[in-house]
Parts: sequence; C-alpha cells; structure tokens
Amino acid sequence: MVLSELSIKNFRNHTHTSIECCRGVNFLLGNNGQGKTNIIEAISYLCLTKSFYAGSDTLVPKFGEGMFEVEGRIVSDGGKPFVVRVAYLRETNEKVFMINGRRVPTLSSVIGKFPIVIFSPEHGSVTTGGPSERRKFLDMVISQSSRAYFKDLLGYRSVLRQRNRVLLDMKLGRQGGNGLLAPWNEQLAALGSAVWWKRHTFITEFSPVVRSVYSHFVDIEERPFLEYRPLGGREFPATQEELSAVFLEILAARENEERRFGTSLVGPHRDDVALTLDGRDLRSYASQGQHKTFIISLKLGEFLYLKSRCNETPLLMLDDVFAELDDARTARVIAYIERVGQAFLTSTHRNPIESWDMNRTEYRTIFIDGGAVAEQKTVVHA
Amino acid sequence: MPRPSDSLQRLIEEFTRLPGIGRKSAQRLALYILKLPAGEVREIAGALLDLKEKMKYCSVCWNFTETDPCPICSGPRRDPGIICVVEEPNDVIAIERTSEYRGLYHVLGGCLSPLEGIGPEELRVRELLPRVGKGVGEVILALSATIEGEATTIYLTKLLKPIGVPVTRLARGISVGGDLEFTDEATLARALEGRVAV
Repeated sequence: MVLSELSIKNFRNHTHTSIECCRGVNFLLGNNGQGKTNIIEAISYLCLTKSFYAGSDTLVPKFGEGMFEVEGRIVSDGGKPFVVRVAYLRETNEKVFMINGRRVPTLSSVIGKFPIVIFSPEHGSVTTGGPSERRKFLDMVISQSSRAYFKDLLGYRSVLRQRNRVLLDMKLGRQGGNGLLAPWNEQLAALGSAVWWKRHTFITEFSPVVRSVYSHFVDIEERPFLEYRPLGGREFPATQEELSAVFLEILAARENEERRFGTSLVGPHRDDVALTLDGRDLRSYASQGQHKTFIISLKLGEFLYLKSRCNETPLLMLDDVFAELDDARTARVIAYIERVGQAFLTSTHRNPIESWDMNRTEYRTIFIDGGAVAEQKTVVHA
Repeated sequence: MPRPSDSLQRLIEEFTRLPGIGRKSAQRLALYILKLPAGEVREIAGALLDLKEKMKYCSVCWNFTETDPCPICSGPRRDPGIICVVEEPNDVIAIERTSEYRGLYHVLGGCLSPLEGIGPEELRVRELLPRVGKGVGEVILALSATIEGEATTIYLTKLLKPIGVPVTRLARGISVGGDLEFTDEATLARALEGRVAV
C-alpha cells in the first residue's frame, strides 16, 4: 500500500501540517526537535490506532488543545482507495477511527488492515534488552499478520490478570477455596497454548527470512538464528491439543510454587527468544555493529514477512536509525528498501541523497521546521 | 454558558447515572419532563417508587418479582425438572422472549471475576446446589461468552457433575441471518466445534 497524503491537526508540535508523499523513499528532514518523528507517530495512529512509543494518548494533542486529528489517504496494493481518519478527544479520552467515512466498531479490528513496520532507535533494545522487548516484537509482528493471534493474546492477558488475582488472594489468605483456580487454568492453557503455537510457527518461518536479509548487509559469512523454546528442555509437541495438555500438566506441577509467589509462573508471558550469531548468544558476544545489522535484519524481515502474510506491502518507517550507521552501510540499507516499497526516513542530514549515493531517480524531501512544513518537493536525481 | 437552575441540574445529574444515558440524552429527558403536565410527572414518579417498594427477589430463583415465589417458579405449566442458570434478571427476560423455554431459572447475580472481588460467595451458588438435588433432570448453563462467563461455566460444571445431574451449556456460533464471510474466526471456530448432525 501507499500513503499518498497526510494531514494532521493539533498533533504534538504541529498545528496543521499537510504533506504529499511519493511512492518511493520520502525523507523527513530537519533539525532535532522540529517534529519529524511526530509525523511518523501520526502515521502509526493511522495503521496501529496508537502511538508506536507513547503509552497513552493524553499527551499527544498539542499543548493547550483538547483534541488531535490525523487523516491519511491510502491506496492498497490492489488499487483500492481509503480515507483513514483518527480523532482523539482528551476530555472524554475517546478515540474515533473512521475508514471511508464509516466509524469502525472496535479499534482492534483495524490491526493488520494497514500493515506498518516502524524502526526507531528504541528498537535496539530488541537485541540488547530483556525478554519483554523480544516478546513485544513478536506480538507486534504476529498480531499484524493474524487477527486470531491478537485476539488470543488479548484473551490470554485477561485470563492471566484474573488468575493472578486468585493466586495473590490465596497467598495473602483472603480466599483459599480449592476450586477457584481450575476455571482459570483451563482457559489459560487453551489461550496460552494457542499463543505458544503461533509464536512457534512464526519463528520457524521467520528465522530464514532474517538470515536472508542479514546476508545483504555483511560480506563475511555470518549466520543469524532465532530460537524459541517455551518449554525449556522439553520437546515442543506436534499438535496444539498436545501442547494444551502439556500446559495443564506444567500448571499442576508448579501449583504450589505459584501459590507461594502469588502469581502465574507458566506461560507465554514468561517467554524469550534466543538470538544467536553462528550459534553464539548475541547479547553476550556480539559487537555493536553486529547488533545493528541484526536489528535491521529483524525489522526488514518483519517487512517481508508482513508483506507475504497480509498480501499488502507495509509502510516502512525508519526513524533516525542512520545516525549511528556509517554512510556505506546506510547506503546498502537504502538501496535495499527502495526496492521493496514506500518508506519514510527521518534524518538531520541536509542532503541525504548525495551523501548516500542513491540510485533511483525520484525522491521526495520534506523539510520540517518548528512543527510545520518549510518546504516539500520531489527531487529528480540525475 | 449560563447555569441552568439547580433543580433542573439535579435531575440531569440523576439521569446521567442511568445506564446508557449520556449528558445530552439526560438533558433531553429532563427538559421533556419539565414540559409534561404535573399529573403525568406524578405518574412517572409513582411508578418508580412502586417498582422499588413492591419488587423483591424470588426466594427460589433470585429473579425480581412482586410475589414470592415468582410467577415462573410457581407457574403450573413450567417444568421444574430443568433449571437454566443465568447471570442477571435481564437474561431471564431475553430467554422468556423466545417462548421456547418451559423450565425454571436460577439468577446468579453476575459471574466470577476475582479482579472485581467476585468469588462464588458473592454469587448465588450456595442457593443453587440444594435446588438441583430433587428431581432435576438438566441444568442449562446460559452464561456470557466472555472469559469470566466461561470461568463460571467451568466452575459450576465441576461443582454440579459430581451430584450426578446432567449439565449442558448454550451452543456458540453463527447468529441467525449472519453471513459466514463476516463471522469472526473465534466464533467460526466455536461453530465448527459445536456442529450438529443433520
């Protein structure tokens, strides 16, 4: 899909900004603090119904304003036009999402309709940070490609919250009835094994994609790998029914421990994915450069995976990710992305096209200054 | 904006507390009542008070009623061999509307939700058990298709099965007149699971 126009009102430091976008690489240029990332954030509202980094909507309206609006024109790969509009009212904390003039009943129904891949400096923690960062990455990619997964995940989280309360009540001696855990165990196992199963399937398909992207960015032979072992040393069952039975078995075996801790100790919320390079753990052994190549490969792998899964080319957002890369590696990344679809890049470079030695003939440069567009033009590169 | 009078404001505030009534609807209702003749307003007020004074819980099924036991529990044409367990009195009204059900009810008063502090003690579970002992041939669990409703269904099933009474639950699937194409995956999966021979 392609985003052809974007208009935002009272969004962060933008009062009213309209941009037109080209089908290829769009550069959002300007100094720090001018509002480049806010454009990326506005696009994330159109695709994900929420900010890609802020946990809440309340601080997004421009200072002193009670609401913000984002409207975009999107054309799908099949040529179908969409006008997508998000409006948020701070007073009632209400978010209205409209597609072609019709309000969508639930925000979650939008997820995956307009796929997007966002890569910003914070995503570096996927390879360097703790397990929760990698779970977040998994959930974002799989949720966009499978609504069933997203639903299972939301259901799992609800059951988990209820079950944790039962365990906590038991620990504190507030309620001790023995039958109280069972109703939640069955649902936890059913939804939890569905999440495990889909994560497992995903990693199996995704790991080779990452390896193939990775090979574009390094000259030497290095083999990245993603390994998922939610059951520890135990072998992963062949069917989801078996997996669900194993889940219940583990719950039974660890019930006393869970009661002692007052919280759930088994399930997808405790998962991790091991990232390795030539069989060695990335976090303990890899250099800074290897980390960066790995995360870029994960992100571009996400792009390729979503493209094939959603039958729709995702939008690719690269927020300030070239600041720490050398020009040669940046050029390789850009050469790669300009082949795959529409991309938005933020940079403080004044003239990225020349510095990065680009090949294509047409780009769009959009200069952002103080929450407004200072200049936007299509650059024809000889 | 000039402030409307206190008594009008008070009524608007009271209406906003009702379920499904927002600020604007509350205002419209209050102004409508203001325009009504005094007699009609008295009728409405009387009906509200009457409801509160006369209605009580049925001591058998815990539905709202004016007489105890309620007309359903004491109805000569109802089958006392079937008990349908529901969450709220609303659900009784919904099932009665079908005119398909001839058995009795048991209103739990909600479903299990540890986060809201609702355990079996807060529901009318203890009141249900003595009812299923005597000559009951089936207990139908008609609870919401939410995780809390599901947990309650599992809890009650584990409780009732050992007594030896047959326990059933409502089928889940495609709504009547619903398009297969627009049915969400979870519902469709349930419908497949619960398919019946024809």
